[in-house]
Parts: sequence; structure tokens; C-alpha cells
Amino acid sequence: MQFTAIGTVAVTIVMLGTFLYVRETLTTFGQGILKQIEIAVYLDDNATDAQAKQLAASLAADGRITSARYVPRAQGLQEMRGRLGRDFDTSLLTANPLPNAFRVSVSNVDNVPDVAASIGKLPGVAKVDYAADTVTKLLRAADVIGRVGMAMIGLLVLTAAIIIANTIRLTVFARRREIAIMQLVGATNMYIRMPFIAEGIIAGVVGAIVAIAVLAVAEMQIVPKIASTLQFVPFHVNELQLAGELLGVGAAVGLVSSWLSVGRYLRA
Amino acid sequence: MIELRGVTLTYPNGTRALDDIDLEIGKADFVFLVGHSGTGKSSLLKLLYREAIPDAGEVIVDGIRVDKLRRGKVAALRRNIGVVFQDFKLLTHKTVWENVAFALQVTGARSKDVMRQVPRVLDLVGLSHKSRMLPSELSGGEQQRAAIARALVNNPKILLCDEPTGNLDPSNTTEIIELLQRINLKGTTVLVATHNQAVVDRMRRRVVRLENGKILHDDERGYYFRGLGQSPVLSG
Repeated sequence: MQFTAIGTVAVTIVMLGTFLYVRETLTTFGQGILKQIEIAVYLDDNATDAQAKQLAASLAADGRITSARYVPRAQGLQEMRGRLGRDFDTSLLTANPLPNAFRVSVSNVDNVPDVAASIGKLPGVAKVDYAADTVTKLLRAADVIGRVGMAMIGLLVLTAAIIIANTIRLTVFARRREIAIMQLVGATNMYIRMPFIAEGIIAGVVGAIVAIAVLAVAEMQIVPKIASTLQFVPFHVNELQLAGELLGVGAAVGLVSSWLSVGRYLRA
Repeated sequence: MIELRGVTLTYPNGTRALDDIDLEIGKADFVFLVGHSGTGKSSLLKLLYREAIPDAGEVIVDGIRVDKLRRGKVAALRRNIGVVFQDFKLLTHKTVWENVAFALQVTGARSKDVMRQVPRVLDLVGLSHKSRMLPSELSGGEQQRAAIARALVNNPKILLCDEPTGNLDPSNTTEIIELLQRINLKGTTVLVATHNQAVVDRMRRRVVRLENGKILHDDERGYYFRGLGQSPVLSG
């Protein structure tokens, strides 16, 4: 029965660990992208130099803006060529389609919509564009998925706790005669509980260790393959911290379920 | 040492195990609690070591209101009361030594206290030479002596015996009763619930008879059946 308890804890923690790993990776990725988000301010084709200078001054005066970089159309084309690589053959273009622009960075990504809206009202501005909207929607979706995932993990943790509790209850029942004699000669409930609590914690911790080992092997085998395909996604999870958290979950599940299980017997 | 005042205890099925019992037992008393099966003897003992709580009345043991004791204090109470049962209740996988030592260890006693106390009580009950044996290797009388040693190892003031000779043959019965007498002579209050008429009549100690949950009679130097003991044949 111990193996059943350990196995259930291990499976639960593998799923929890995978989920937390993916969530941390996505969160780091999303936050990294958000930090790089720039507002593209495209000027009217017939905007004068004075309007452009006035616009630059307005942007500099806005406390929410950390930088406003002027990108003439020719430079914009160069940068686009650099981003898109050899696949983008600019020799096919008869004219530069890009307008003069400003690349604006803000201190707080939550201000992007407001800043973009206020820039859009300035004279000489043809269009204001930013991709943060898409990323924010993505992060919101990730958050929803995260909550659903955590709920499912919560159910799995509960299952593991129930199995450990049942294992302990069977052990308590098998040793009920010994427990009765211990109570008879004056053993405190804590003295009686401790071996069973220890058993529950051990089941939880061993299950967590097994899970961590499985996750470590999976990380070494799978992550490099995914990382080579998704090079723009940073796979930098603090494995030690994650392992510590998973060990804590295993020990806590073992402790709580065995404590409650023995406690019910001693109160009966 | 032991006082019951207006104690009433009802079985789960509704019948009265004890009905308004008043009883006083002094220090170093030796008392037989007699009556046929189901008359409340075991229930009365259970009240004393807090295995049961009365529906009404007061249970006082060595000055402590046992019926009002918080759950956390029951363990400490039981360390001052030795209890012996008909079925011995020894741990079958532990030796005699380990069974007796166990009662000390659960109280947090140090190893040197265990090494001092266990041989003392084993010597008292005459089992020093069998300390390494398992209960299955002992006779019924020897197992009961081991149980008595465990009950005594914490130097309790009170020894409660629930049918201690119920599973024993006559010669082992005599041994156990004589042992209980020796223990009583050292100052321990001994209360023995029994339906062994021969033992009660031979010893002529205080006899409290229970019937239908009430105390029928309470006699110093009594007989199992009051009145029968006055026959010249039995009073020898």
C-alpha cells in the first residue's frame, strides 16, 4: 500500500512540476516580450520637419515615455531587412513603403494603450501601432489556462492525500491492538501519532523525489529539442527552487493527510 | 483514594450499567468487586481509568475529578493507574522485558530508569529468568504476571484488575492472587473485579457486590455471596 501512496504522490507531483515549469517559462517569455514592446508612431507622409520636431518634444515631455527614437524611412527599411532576413527580398520593391516613424518605449507596459491613444491625437501622426494588445490577450489566456490547470492539479493533490490517508488508516487499523495498549499505559496522543505522521511524510517526500527525478530526466531529454525549435522562448527555470517547492508539496500532503487520518482514529 | 458519588452510566442500548453508585475506597485497600457478567464491574473500572465517562455523578481518583479530565490529561492519569485484564493484553512481538519497558518508554523515561525499574518489577512478579521470552512462550499465569509487572513499572498508586484470573487454571489463579496481595501489602490500592467465588471466599477481604447496576452490599471481610459464607464448611 505504501507503493500505491508513493506512486500516486509521484504522478501528481510530476504533473504539478510540469505545469509549474511550463507556466514559469511562458510567464518569463511573455514578460520579456512585453518589456520589449515599442509603440510605432508613423508620421504623415506630408508631415513637415517642424511637426516632426514638435512631435519629438511632445514625446520627450511625456513622463510615461522612457525613450522615443526617430527612425527615418530608409533606416526603417534596413531594420526590417535585418529582422526578416534573406527571405525578404527588397530588390523587388520599386519604392520604400515605410513612413518616417518614432519607436516609443514606456516605463510601464500597462500604460501602452493610454500613451498610444494620446500620441494618436498629436499633429503629424498618421497611425499608432503596438503589439502589446495581442500579448496581453495571450497572457490573459495563459492565466485562465493556469487557473484551470491548478484546479485540476488541486484535485490530483487531493486524490494523493486521500490515498495516503487511507494507507495510514489501514496501518493504524492493523496496529490497533498496539495503539490500545499504548493508550492504556499512558502514552500521549502525540507519542502514538508520531510514527504514523513520519510514515505519511516519508511517503510524500519519497513520491516527490521520484517525481523530481522523472522531471529532471524529462527536462534533460525534451527541453533541448523544444528549445532548438522555439529559440525565442527562454527556458530558464530555477530548477532548484522548483524542486524545493515540489518536495514541500509532497511533505505537506503526507503530513496533513496522515495527521488527519490518525487524529480521527484517536478521537474515536 | 477512589470515590464515586452518584455515578450513573448507561450502555449504548439504553440499559443502565451503573445506577447512582456511591463508593469509597481508601489508600492501600484491597477490594473485590463481584457480581455476575454484565452487572457493571468492568464498566466501573473503566470509569476509573477514563475509558468511559459517566452520564451523571463524580469520579474522583487520588483527588482528581476523572470524569471532568481534559482529553490531553488522560495519559498522565493512566500512568498513575495500573490496569490488568483477563486477556493480558501483552504485545505478542515483544519479549517480557520489552513489554514491561514499553510502559516506561511511552512516558519518556530515560534508559537508565528503564534499566533500573524493569528488573525490579520482574523480580517482584518472579519473571526475571524469563525476561527474554515472548508471550507465546509463557504459560497463562506467567503472561498475567508479565502484565502485572507492566502495570506496576510506573509505580502506580492504584492497580485495577478486570478478571485477572479469568483465563487461568486454579494453581495459576492462586499465584496471581497471592502476588496481588503482596503488591497490596506494599501500599498499592488494589481493586479486583472477579466472578471467582473460591478466591473471594478464601481471602476474606472487602467485597462490593454489584447487581443490576447498583451496589447490593459492601462488606469488610466479605464473602462472594453474603450469607453463604457463614456456613461452617466455607468459613473454615
